[in-house]
Amino acid sequence: MSLYATRRQRNSMATTLAWAAAIFGLAWLLLILISLLYEGVIGLSPDVFTQTTPPPGSKGGLLNAIVGSLIMTAIGVALGTPLGMLAGTYMAEYGRYSKLTTVVRFINDILLSAPSIVVGLFVYELLVGPMGHFSGISGAVALSLLVIPVVLRTTEDMLLLVPGSMREAAAALGAPRALVIGKVAYRAAKAGLVTGVLLAVARVSGETAPLLFTALNNQFWSTDLNAPMASLPAVIFQFALSPYKDWQQLAWTGALLITLAVLALSITARALSAGRRKSK
Amino acid sequence: MTTSEPTRRESNGTGDMSDMTMEDAAPRSAVVDRAKALSSIALLDRIFFHVTRAAAVIVLLILGGVIVSLFHGSMPAIKAFGFGFLFSEAWNPVTDKFGALPAIYGTLVTSIIAMLIAMPVGIGIATFLTELCPHALRRPIGIAIELLAGIPSIIYGIWGLFVFAPFVQTHVQPPLISLFGDVPVLSTLFAGPPYGIGLLTAGFILAIMVLPFIASISRDVFETVPPVLKEAAAGIGCTTWEMMRYVVLPYSRVGVIGGIMLGLGRALGETMAVTFVIGNAHKVSPSLLAPGTTISATIANEFTEAVGDLYTASLIELGLILFVITFIVLAIARYMLMRIEQKSA
Amino acid sequence: MNAPAQVKNHATKISVRSLDFYYGGTRALKTISLPLHTHKVTAFIGPSGCGKSTLLRVLNRMYDLYPGQRAEGEVLLDGENILDPAIDLNALRARVGMIFQKPTPFPMSIYENVAFGIRLYERLSRADMDARVEEALRGAAIWDEVKDKLQASGLGLSGGQQQRLCIARSVAVQPEVILFDEPCSALDPISTAKVEELIEELSSRYTIAIVTHNMQQAVRVSDYTAFMYLGELVEFGDTDDVFNRPREKRTQDYITGRFG
Repeated sequence: MSLYATRRQRNSMATTLAWAAAIFGLAWLLLILISLLYEGVIGLSPDVFTQTTPPPGSKGGLLNAIVGSLIMTAIGVALGTPLGMLAGTYMAEYGRYSKLTTVVRFINDILLSAPSIVVGLFVYELLVGPMGHFSGISGAVALSLLVIPVVLRTTEDMLLLVPGSMREAAAALGAPRALVIGKVAYRAAKAGLVTGVLLAVARVSGETAPLLFTALNNQFWSTDLNAPMASLPAVIFQFALSPYKDWQQLAWTGALLITLAVLALSITARALSAGRRKSK
Repeated sequence: MTTSEPTRRESNGTGDMSDMTMEDAAPRSAVVDRAKALSSIALLDRIFFHVTRAAAVIVLLILGGVIVSLFHGSMPAIKAFGFGFLFSEAWNPVTDKFGALPAIYGTLVTSIIAMLIAMPVGIGIATFLTELCPHALRRPIGIAIELLAGIPSIIYGIWGLFVFAPFVQTHVQPPLISLFGDVPVLSTLFAGPPYGIGLLTAGFILAIMVLPFIASISRDVFETVPPVLKEAAAGIGCTTWEMMRYVVLPYSRVGVIGGIMLGLGRALGETMAVTFVIGNAHKVSPSLLAPGTTISATIANEFTEAVGDLYTASLIELGLILFVITFIVLAIARYMLMRIEQKSA
Repeated sequence: MNAPAQVKNHATKISVRSLDFYYGGTRALKTISLPLHTHKVTAFIGPSGCGKSTLLRVLNRMYDLYPGQRAEGEVLLDGENILDPAIDLNALRARVGMIFQKPTPFPMSIYENVAFGIRLYERLSRADMDARVEEALRGAAIWDEVKDKLQASGLGLSGGQQQRLCIARSVAVQPEVILFDEPCSALDPISTAKVEELIEELSSRYTIAIVTHNMQQAVRVSDYTAFMYLGELVEFGDTDDVFNRPREKRTQDYITGRFG
């Protein structure tokens, strides 16, 4: 066999393997989505959105879990976003060349993918222990700690994309740095900043581990931030591992709801940043 | 005009500007007003600077806080067990004897299984996306993979519990057991009854979960290879495989390894995808089919039910160990990704 | 180097004295001294990298935005040394406006672009603000083109219009000096002609410095010309003299196209 033929054979083997890998990987991911859709849709009914979580063996819904998730996510994002944005602003605007920025960027990148269960332990030590009981507010704080790195990263990235000439032009008018940032740089990076927040919401809305020992869970309707609070992920965790068919069904349906919400958020975020790129 | 003018008010008065319109509308005391406006803005400017700087410092403090609080929380266990904690297989709440070995073992084994599967498949997908995929499909498939990377891990967990584990129990494990039953070494790896859940199942689900990460990061890294290099390789008659093997991979090696380490970091710390299917058994078993536990699964399953200070402290110490391991892995990953970023910049 | 003494009997707005400039360890300007005359246009020419833009960015201390860049010597604006660390940069930049190579409209409406600078230092009623914005836009010869779409985004204008909008924005702050950093290099010939015409008009009210690599442009718009080469000021004088009767061989070589 000629050398060229060997090379071609090797090439076709390698490309076949790449094709196979792609089909193999995508097939599993597709399979998960299909079974999620199939199992989840069966349980979809108005009850899901109007009833609270039932005791074993009776009908019910996920209302308290959905509301709890919304409350804690909203508070978590409200707490984490300003901090992440301000820190990102420092890094991209004031301290672009400072040592602090390099260190914070490195640490933040690590926090971005650090195990979320550790964040739960941290908040347990920080709040739950001293308070003496689980609470919705500590769940929200745990989520906010996951929001910060996402928002910080996108804020820094997006501000770095704002051309320096824009800042120089504003400075050349005699605008102080705070206004250059607030009125010009933020505005130029607006779509990107919103994207960051959406991604952060998507990230935390499915988080389970940090809620397990901060907000715990709650079988009943409760909007009291000082008491344990239900959340979709925590309910899914509890119900999926239970032996009751009704609960397992609700777990599937809850999983479907979370997935749809996360997908909708990420697609919106993507569309926003794509629109931004086009307008540039 | 003969003299130099120290203020704008005087310059406004000079003769050759009689046709000016705008200066007339302006307050004559522009300089004074400006000074006043400036002092208030300067204060705002300083405040904003210090607020943003404080925010950056707080992010550092949070990380410090995490480490300090984990240390503080695990002190009772550290005092009671010392370094022996890392190597002890005991886990008995009744006698208050705890050891981290089974959890560390399970964490490492599931992560290794996950990486063994996800690494080649992920790089394969990235290769497919950058070189082989029909152009019309590249963007949609790429986007789909990035979206999948954002799906909460509990989804993988619930799917693993209800769909994948039963399938493994009936269709995968029995043939594995009978196939390798007589082969030395492998017979130990695949020993025991088919439970469905266990280390192998958990590792496989982890693999599916980190696959989108590795695939999309590898693709991004492959795309940092300058087209000229690829064109040069094609220009001397390289096949696609040779171009990947001798140009793209060497160029992007550091970045791909960074991406894999990032995926490994995720796999090590992952809780929900694993907890459902690991079996929560505190023992070190050579068989991949046996139930086991991981650090995060142990914490998730037992933390709220832990009674006694030593029990809680042991769980927190597990968290500390997990944090240290992932911190090191992620730090290496970030360092490598930083290097490829600098290279492409 | 030629004596940078005053060439004719004109008042001096800015006086650069023995200015050195460093990018880190690199010396980019070497002992520059020259005057900028009140209400005159001074052009800076020279091959790329000669330091002409650097010099311009010293005049409003734009270099202060970046670490590792520093200037030594004196730059007197109406007798006050603007290199003094104690000087208020924002106040300085309000007095010394700048127009950049590429148009830099802010991501906001045409109206807001102009009002932005005014609002920094003045609180005006709606009607006064409208009047100021209109004056500025008229002053930059763009009013007729945008008066019907003041609320449209500044980014939607053509390149030439954007550059004139930036000039209006700068003029609205009522500076005393305006620096132009190759303002036409990104524009087509028709837009260039408009901007050049505008610069001539503005020179009756403002002291102007313009960096250009287009020698014809320097001849058309400037009263004085400074030729720079490798960080040194080679020749400074009446534009007419510099181009027709250069005293230095290097100047002659450059304007006749022998290098650059």
